[in-house]
Amino acid sequence: MNARDERSVGELLLDADFTTRQVLMDATGEDAQAMLRTWGEVVQSASELWATLPRPAGGTSPIDGATMARLETISQSMHRDQVRRGWPGDGPADERLLHVAETFTRVAGLIDRRGAHIGATDPAVRADLDAARMRIMHTLYVGAHSVGVAAQQHVADVEVSTRGKSDRESRAVPRGQDAINRLAAFEQLAGAYVGNRFARAAGGEHVHGPNGAERLQQALIGWDIQAHRTLAATPTAANLLLASRTQAGIATAAVAILHAGARTGHVDTNAYQHRLAPTLDATQQAWTDVASRWAEMTSPDSRTDVDLVQAAGELRAAVREVAHDKTTWARPDVMAGRVDLGEAAQHLQQALSTAVDIASVIRDVAAQDTSLTGPARAMNHRANADIDRTADRGHRGKDVVWVTPGDVYANRTVTLPEPVRAGLVDATDTLVQTASNAMSAAACLDRVAQDGPSGSGPEPTAPRSHRREGPTPMAQDVTRVARP
Amino acid sequence: MMTNDTIDRDAGETLGAVARLLHHAAIRAWARADAEGPRSPMHLMGLGIYIAFCQAVAMLPADDYLDGHSPIQDDVVQLLTSAEKLTRSIPVSDETAGISALAVAICDLVREATP
Repeated sequence: MNARDERSVGELLLDADFTTRQVLMDATGEDAQAMLRTWGEVVQSASELWATLPRPAGGTSPIDGATMARLETISQSMHRDQVRRGWPGDGPADERLLHVAETFTRVAGLIDRRGAHIGATDPAVRADLDAARMRIMHTLYVGAHSVGVAAQQHVADVEVSTRGKSDRESRAVPRGQDAINRLAAFEQLAGAYVGNRFARAAGGEHVHGPNGAERLQQALIGWDIQAHRTLAATPTAANLLLASRTQAGIATAAVAILHAGARTGHVDTNAYQHRLAPTLDATQQAWTDVASRWAEMTSPDSRTDVDLVQAAGELRAAVREVAHDKTTWARPDVMAGRVDLGEAAQHLQQALSTAVDIASVIRDVAAQDTSLTGPARAMNHRANADIDRTADRGHRGKDVVWVTPGDVYANRTVTLPEPVRAGLVDATDTLVQTASNAMSAAACLDRVAQDGPSGSGPEPTAPRSHRREGPTPMAQDVTRVARP
Repeated sequence: MMTNDTIDRDAGETLGAVARLLHHAAIRAWARADAEGPRSPMHLMGLGIYIAFCQAVAMLPADDYLDGHSPIQDDVVQLLTSAEKLTRSIPVSDETAGISALAVAICDLVREATP
């Protein structure tokens, strides 16, 4: 122990918290084994610290001690499993997590030496003790998440590097998966203590559920159901914005995953290149255009339905699990190593069908909801832009003031000006059409891919044109489809 | 819509600043995505940041905590890092339930956004 360290209990606990956050921000698969070796020590020192905290005279809630006891049990069980499997085995510890464990031990020592006189009946002291317990549990929550992230990355790396090799060489996969499941349970327990009511939306926290294509399927279905529920009950601009941006994300992810499918022989290359990719690009741009319009109608404090946020978070996490590698898309062979891309393509095909109905719901709101409003400045700007747009097409409008100078000056909330609504309806008409085109193009995904692996598929480069595309030859005039 | 009327003024103001940073970061990420085209992975980065923004807003009371200057930074990673640093001063308590998940979400986004 450093005798010159005169930091308080609170400062030391913050140090432990901030260290785990840094670990989380830096976590990679290469860190996983050292982190797994050290995690048990963190939990044990946290548990010992917890036991040294004076108990309030009136007793604590049974959940207080029970939660820490259960966390320690999970950690011990992980340790026993590591010993039995010989994995991750001997090796260096993770210095950062070791620092967290040592900090907890230092705090316990401080309390042991100086805390005997603490009167736990004093309300201020009780508040401090509650804050200390919360910070410890929060640190374990963040720490468990970071170890889980590293373990997931490690498993993904091993899956790719050992594909086609023996069970012995790929045995780190099931071992890592067991650790991931236990860490997820740990994270859920600690998260419940600190009240993580938004956890599923946070990082796509995903406990004891399916992985890969099945997770993607469930996330797409969950999103579809929640989007319909939210838009039926509260079709506010904030909810419409998140719904549109998420649908744009689905279209973007669909191109990336189907491109990987085409490159690995799971999706017909010709269909991808000539039908799927162009129509998906067009529908993505239409969703983005509509989202931008809803964004203009929100105010800074507009609230979004928490259930919709959670569903979007889980969908994004499921897509990342399949398709991402840090800041970019994973290589096609990497994606193919993670999931059955043919199966994933079929789930996306269903999502592209239901997208038409969500687009239709949004168009109905745009055309019929008379309660739509927006901030005066943004509405004025948009009205002028839409008037200019129609004037460019030879339909010059009358000189009408759609938003009063007073409203603009005060940036009051105003009813949607007529040109803005007309532009919104136009944009949502285009959205329904492009979504229908994408659905038609994706019908081919019902079939098993015919082509073998091909190295000649196009790279998923981003076309820079934002030109709105018209209907493709195979487009159907679908204005509304029944929900599955 | 869910609001939190128990959060104290200081924590609320800090959380409001976090929300503003996240909102600006989402806008910047989407602007970059739009410039790169419909297949840009930044679309999903922007979505993730916007989801974190929604979480932060949901923790705030129905008040004026989101009024204030827009951040001057434009770099998405810097904006996220600033937001994470601000969350450090928010206590973890029953009144700020959700802050742990928000902190984890922002740390995840920093990691995802850092090449």
